Amino acid sequence: MDSCVNEPAVAMTPTNPLRSLPDTAAFADLYDEHSKAVYYLALRFLADPQKAEDVTHDVFLKVYRKLGEFHGDSSVRTWLYRITINHCQNLKQSWSSRNLISTADDAIWNTTAAPAESPLHALETKELGERIQKALDALSEEYRLLLLLVADEQLSYDEVAALTDQTADAVRGKLHRARKAFAVHFAKTA
Amino acid sequence: MKHESKQRSQEQEQLSQFTAPQATREFAATDELLRHDAAQTDVPPAVAERLTQSIAKLPKPSRSWWERLWKR
Repeated sequence: MDSCVNEPAVAMTPTNPLRSLPDTAAFADLYDEHSKAVYYLALRFLADPQKAEDVTHDVFLKVYRKLGEFHGDSSVRTWLYRITINHCQNLKQSWSSRNLISTADDAIWNTTAAPAESPLHALETKELGERIQKALDALSEEYRLLLLLVADEQLSYDEVAALTDQTADAVRGKLHRARKAFAVHFAKTA
Repeated sequence: MKHESKQRSQEQEQLSQFTAPQATREFAATDELLRHDAAQTDVPPAVAERLTQSIAKLPKPSRSWWERLWKR
């Protein structure tokens, strides 16, 4: 983690409205723990904040309805990522079949900054986020997904390999090239 | 091995050269940059609100959330 960033000792988390429903405390806990990871993966994979919101909503609604299908063979995080990846890939297939492009624009990007940030910090985050998105967009879908999954410290290489249907050795090999390609494209965004 | 570390240092150099103009911030590697980006990206509160509304509209299950998960 970046040691240069001063983060508040206690995060100000607004009350999750899911807790207002009867019998959903545990589900609300699950949402609080994993929704950020799901949203971030969808956001950077699809490059569309509105679609990322839709995916996050749909993934957790599916999880709520299909909990009986979770057998504990993998971690909850891995299970959530698998649903998210499938959902994102289906969306992308749908887009390409219709020859549509991303609808992300500056106005939408403004909504991705944390609400408690100062204006300067928000501007900085927006610019950095845009540069990261441009660099990721320049990569193949496979490289983009590998970089995003490996950046999650909760996932092992074996779990990333399982999520991307390849061996851990293949992940390591491709990751090396993906990191290098990202660095080159990121440099071009300056 | 030398080849690998050379490529790694080139990557680090390319990442560290480019920082936001408002503040000096350096990232040693792609993973670190993406983790920082992820930490700065919050889920819009509207998602939890929409999800709450969607769940409230679902037919009530015969068993609770935890019963469905653990008492199958």
